[in-house]
This record gives sequence, structure tokens and C-alpha cells, in this order.
Amino acid sequence: MRQRDLSEARDAPAVHEELDEPAVHEELTALAARLAARGELPAPPCPDPVNAPMIRHWTQALGDASGAAGAWRDVAPPAMIQVWSMPGLVAQKAGSVADDPLRLLNEHGYTGVVATNCDQTYDRYVRVGERLRSTMRFGDVQGPKRTAMGEGYFVTWFQSWYDEDDRRVAEMLFRVLKFRPRRRGGGGRPSGAKPGRYPLRPAVGPDTRYFWDGVNDGELRIQSCADCGALRHPPGPMCPACHSTNRTYRKASGRGTVHSFVVHHHPPVPGRTPPYAVAVVELEEGVRIVGDIVGCEPSEVEVDMPVRVLFQHMDDELVLPRWTPADAPEPEGRDERREEPDQEPDGALRIDLTPTFVIATALATRDFTPVHHDTELARAQGSKDIFVNILTSIGLVQRYALETVPGAVLESIRVRLGVPAYTGDTLTLTGERADDRTLRVRGAVSLGDHLTATVTFKEGDAQ
Amino acid sequence: MSLSGKAAIAGIGATEFSKDSGRSELRLAAEACRAAIADAGLAPADVDGLVTFTADASAEIAVQRELGIPSLRFFSRVDYGGGAACGTVAHAAMAVATGQADAVVCYRAFNERSGHRFGQANKGGGSGSQAMEFSWHLPFGFATPAAWVAMQARRYMHEYGATSEDFGRVAVAMRRHAATNPRAWFHGRPITLEEHQASRWIVEPLRLLDCCQESDGGQAIVVTSAERARDLPHRPAVIAGAAQGTGPDQMMMFSYYSGDLASLPAMGRVGEQLWRQSGLGPDDVDTAILYDHFTPFVLVQLEELGFCGRGEAKDFLKDGGIELGGRLPVNPHGGQLGEAYIHGMNGIAEGVRQLRGTAANQVPDATNVLVTAGTGVPTSGLVLTAG
Repeated sequence: MRQRDLSEARDAPAVHEELDEPAVHEELTALAARLAARGELPAPPCPDPVNAPMIRHWTQALGDASGAAGAWRDVAPPAMIQVWSMPGLVAQKAGSVADDPLRLLNEHGYTGVVATNCDQTYDRYVRVGERLRSTMRFGDVQGPKRTAMGEGYFVTWFQSWYDEDDRRVAEMLFRVLKFRPRRRGGGGRPSGAKPGRYPLRPAVGPDTRYFWDGVNDGELRIQSCADCGALRHPPGPMCPACHSTNRTYRKASGRGTVHSFVVHHHPPVPGRTPPYAVAVVELEEGVRIVGDIVGCEPSEVEVDMPVRVLFQHMDDELVLPRWTPADAPEPEGRDERREEPDQEPDGALRIDLTPTFVIATALATRDFTPVHHDTELARAQGSKDIFVNILTSIGLVQRYALETVPGAVLESIRVRLGVPAYTGDTLTLTGERADDRTLRVRGAVSLGDHLTATVTFKEGDAQ
Repeated sequence: MSLSGKAAIAGIGATEFSKDSGRSELRLAAEACRAAIADAGLAPADVDGLVTFTADASAEIAVQRELGIPSLRFFSRVDYGGGAACGTVAHAAMAVATGQADAVVCYRAFNERSGHRFGQANKGGGSGSQAMEFSWHLPFGFATPAAWVAMQARRYMHEYGATSEDFGRVAVAMRRHAATNPRAWFHGRPITLEEHQASRWIVEPLRLLDCCQESDGGQAIVVTSAERARDLPHRPAVIAGAAQGTGPDQMMMFSYYSGDLASLPAMGRVGEQLWRQSGLGPDDVDTAILYDHFTPFVLVQLEELGFCGRGEAKDFLKDGGIELGGRLPVNPHGGQLGEAYIHGMNGIAEGVRQLRGTAANQVPDATNVLVTAGTGVPTSGLVLTAG
């Protein structure tokens, strides 16, 4: 299944939905209602019990060092859950609860398909030796919606896994967009973006360089007039009070209060995972500055809330001054270079997507779909090359989360899928702690965001 | 010396308002101008001036060529997005009043829905003064007009206790007006306050229904001397006041760094001049066309222009206060929330129709109309009176 970024159009404001074909829409709605009413149905069997060899293949293929360290001796990595019910290399895949609506959409010109969401919730980790069974149930059909890919319907279904006592151990939501391919191009990503490079960069000029130099040195610098002493932010070349062009700066304390703030939801902003808060901060020194707020949920931000500055590496080059509640604990590290020598300078996880990686992970997740291992077939189907499969993407989010928050126990991983991660590219995973129990993860490739994900940890287990 | 009463709007013309015009922006501009010139009872050869937005993609000389205008002797552009709208008419009126031109067409045409959409994340770039302004904001993911307005809206709510429902009443009023305006995109589609409250967040505290739609289309306005306009087919809309304005520490939608975020000083500056030039005041206005790209700034404009005191707009617009039949009907055409987003130019045309007595939702005996342009940016305004 191809992945492309849909979020741009799906979430754009002022998208006005209209029905082009009421007849299809009605048939689809009726079919969806019938399918949803059927509830849970048995899904293809899990061929093997939860077992150590498959766990080892998986951890080796994904580069999960904690596997070798014994983290997965008794329990399986939670993100492997779907692997246990994958059929393997079989001539024909068994049917899915969503086959009928997908076929109906195909027949009416909605021939394109991309996966958009894969959300897994873990009731508990499964133990080596357990036998699982799985069920599927149909979710819903939403649409028609105008998206960057073309007009389409979002089709959602669920798979659940149960233990031998019929207790659920995990559930997964899977959503695809079935769309009418657009005649025009579009929906593409700006080219030329470097992998792992934070896309929102300031222009720096002669009048502003001192500020960004300061940020790189861990200082919040406020321009002050060398003649009359007036403070000014944002800065400029001439003092509006005395017209002097002699400038210096004062190092600010980095403390202030929220004067006003917003919480961004839509439309998508490159390099950002919504929702996130941005504030006008009133500094102790009496000037204001704009920045985003990290280290708490956006819903916890309030006007007049005391905040303090943080200097965070967004990538190898860019440091941004960001804000966090004044009473928040020190986040992942004011300077990751010093505190986490094993990690990349910016805490990012970089994975070279060699053919070996793409193919080994596809097979270790028992996904034998040719677009993940057969270059010629992938190209014949319109792909640039073979690309990383979704089971691996979610596994890599787990790996990043547990490397960032060692010892945590995962409660859920919700992944929104973007552009494909082709072989030859580099996948760079970066993240941001929203709070004790939530980590937001972004996985970028040269084409843009391959995924954005939200990982939640079980209470009391996160460090 | 005053500009008041020297010039008038003699013609208005527009394309249809849609989501996908299927034609070039230049063609939309040419069609709108041609319609406006014909509406004024003039021929292209009578036109000797053109004014548009700095943001417009169609050069004055390109429009001149399409219309077959032999030559121009006045052309200018006005900057700052939708803040330019009334400014184009102000420039045209100044040219006409000083004899620099006889008949000036102001135009704005774009494919803002099917082409470049302003509501998407701004990508920044460049190295001029505006790029520097953006650089204090974009890197933090603070990248859309809705977000920039939301920052002021939050502070306004904090200071005056206004709520999302108060903003919603603006959206409900605009959609009510659009519902009975056949040229409006949302013709026949009113909304309730409950629907507003159920609409999803775009940038808190703004919901989807606080944000105006996006449109393709073109609108043109013909300005000539008040004297000449009296000899033309339609009742003139005399320009009694025309002004531009900025506020302290003005930025392009980021004027957060000094003063009061719960205000729009640039609009206050425009209002003072309009009342002084026209000799009129808020009580004399029969209907106001207030720029409504985002609902909260309709409240702030009511305050800046003196229709009510600071923080009182939420009470002013309760109980249908800005609806047809209310204390001040605002945007009888449905505004940009309801009719179309043509960067404020369609609002000027509505002001003219109200004075001619030909509007879809006619305010009885409208003789004085106030029109404003984009807010949060350097802006402009007009007072038009029936000639």
C-alpha cells in the first residue's frame, strides 16, 4: 500500500464537502452500516505462538539493541502485535472486513488507495509462548472529502488480539483513503528538503544575527540602544526613541509570563505535530517575544502563566528559544550533547534505508508484499523503488520511544502516515515530550514527513 | 483642502464567485474590469487609471492590454494583503480629485481557492524587512493567518470576557445574510450557533466557522469625479471619506510587541480620519461593511470605529444587533464569511449597491455606508454616501 501525505488537504480549513454522486454515497453508507452491525468477526489465525526466534529476527532487522540486552526475553515488543497474525508468504491473502466497500469505491472511480492511520493500543504485553487469536470489525466510511490526492473516502477498520482466556491484549485501528486520482499533479512535497532538517528556519540578517548567535550560545539576547539604553524586541537598526544606530544587547533572564497564546490544530505545518501552543511571552525585562510552549499539554497553557526559556536543537544547525512552564522539570536535556553521549547530537534516530534494511524488516514482520522487497515489481506498480512497510514504521516508533524514555511501558502508538520511505533515503526520527506520559514523534525523509506519531506510556512506568 | 465629496464610485463589476474558476487570474481581472466599466456607462477608452493590490498577480499594463485601453496616466498599487481594499479606492479618489486621472478602475482578481491559498502554512523566504518580521514567528510553527489573528483574539477574550459564542454570533449573522443573497457561495445555507460551537478547532480560540471561506473571483470598482458620476447611469456612491492607517509598532499581522493586543490601532486611525473627513459619526451609518476574514476582528472593529465602547461589542451584537433589522446591520451581503472572499473588494461593491437601493438584502433608505478593509494588517476604509 502506498503512503502519501494527505494531511495537508484533509485538514485544511474551509474545506467544503459536497456530494458528487449521491447514489454511490448512499450505497456505501448502507453497506458500511451493515458491515458495522456485524461486529467482531474471526480473522485469519495466528500461525505460531509468540516466540523468541521471530522476536529476535524483528529486533535485529529493526536495529533494536534492547532486544540483545534482554528486554524482550519474556515478553514480545508491543509493536510486533500485528506480526503474530500475518499470514506469511501465501498465494492469496484472506479477505478483510473492508474488502466490499473498497471494491465498491474502486468500481466508482476511487481507484487510488493510501494508508493514512495505524493506531495500536496495548492492553498488556504478550508473553513468549502465548497463543493468540485475532478478530476484525468494520469501523466506518467518512466522505467524500476533498484531499490533496483527490476526492475520496476514508475507510476504517479494526483488528483485535485475544489471549487464551479470551482477554483482549491489543487493538489496532487501520484507516485508508480511497480516492479518485487527480488529473493535475499536486499533493507532492517541496523538493530539496534535506532529511532530518527542521523546515521552519529564520532568515538571519545583519540586524538580527546577534540574537541567533546568542541562542546558539544558550543566551536570550535583547537589543538595547548603546546611547539611551532602550530595550527593543524584535530588534532593528535604528533606535526609535533616540535614533542612534549604536546597538548592544542585554542578556535576558529567560523568565516571563504568557501574555497571550494560541493552540494550532489546522492546517498542517511542515515539521510540526499538532496540537501545539505558541505564545506571546512578556519577559521580566519588559519586552515581548513570540515562541512555542513545550513541556506541557497545550490545554494546560494559560494567560499569565510563568514560563522560562529553553534552547533546543531542532537539527544539526538550528537552535530555537522555546518556552516551558516555569515549574516544569528539566526536559530531556538542555543540551543533549553533554547528557546523552550515545545519541545523535540532537537526540535524533537516523536510519539509512538500505535495501537490506527495507527487505529484512519487511520479512521480519512477515510482510511479503512485493513493493517491500522486489524493486522491479515496485517500479512496475508506479513506485520509485521499494519502501518501508507500515509494520516496520510503527516498530521504529516503538524503538525511538523506548530509546528516548528507557524503561517506559507503552500504552499506545498512534501513527499518521505521510510520504513513503524509499530505499536509498534516510529516515530521521525526532521527538518532543508533551508530558510525562506522552511523546510526539516525527519521522522525516527527503520527501517530507514519513510519519507523525503520538506515543503514550502507562502511568507510573514512565521515567 | 479635503478629499471628501470630490470623487464617486460610478461602476461595479465582478465575475462569479466560485471555488474553481477554471480561468487565469488575468482573465478574471479583465472580466471584472470590463463589467465595471460597462456598469458605469463608460468605454475602456474612457479609463486612464488603474489601481490594484501589491499582492495581485495581474499587472496594470496587462489589464490595460486586455481591455484595449489606449494609454494610462495613473497607476499605483496598495500593499498589505486585504488591508489594501479601500486603499485602492482612496488612491483612485486622490488621483481623480487632483486631476491626475479622469476615470480609475480599482481591481482585485485571484484564484485563491483553486490556486495559491492564503490559509496554508506560510513558507517564509526572502531577506527583506518582511522576511525578518516573519522570522520571529514562522520557526515556531506560527505560520497561518488564523493563528496570527487567534493570538489577538485570545487576549481580547481574556481582557473583556468575550467567548467563542460571541465570535459565533458574527458567523451566524453573516451566514443568515448570505442565505438570502443569490450571489453568495453560502446562499440558502444558514448556520446555527450550535453548529458554530460544534465546528472543529483551526487555531484555538478560532473554530472552522470563525474563518472565512476561500474563493476564486474578481471584483472591480470604477472611480470618477462626483460631478461626472452624476451624468452616468447609476446613482453615484460619493466618497465622503477615504483613509489608510497603521498603528504603533505595526507589523504584517504580528503587532504584538507593544500596546494592547485586544485592539486594532490601525483601524482606529482609519476611523478617526473617516469621521473627520466626512463630518459623519457612527450614529449616521445605516449599514457597515466590516472586513470579516476572522470573526473576532469584527468585534474589535465595532469598538475601534466607535459603534460601542471597549469590550462592549459582545453586547452590541447580541440579539441580532448586527443582523438585518438590528441596531447596525453589518455586511448585508453575507461578508466574506458568507458571500465570497475577494480580499474585501466585494464589500465595497455591496456598499455601492446599498446606496443605489439594489442590494439583495437592502437596508431601507441607506444613505451612509462605512466600508473597512483587512484587519491585523495596515488597513483602510471608506465612507460612502448616496449622491
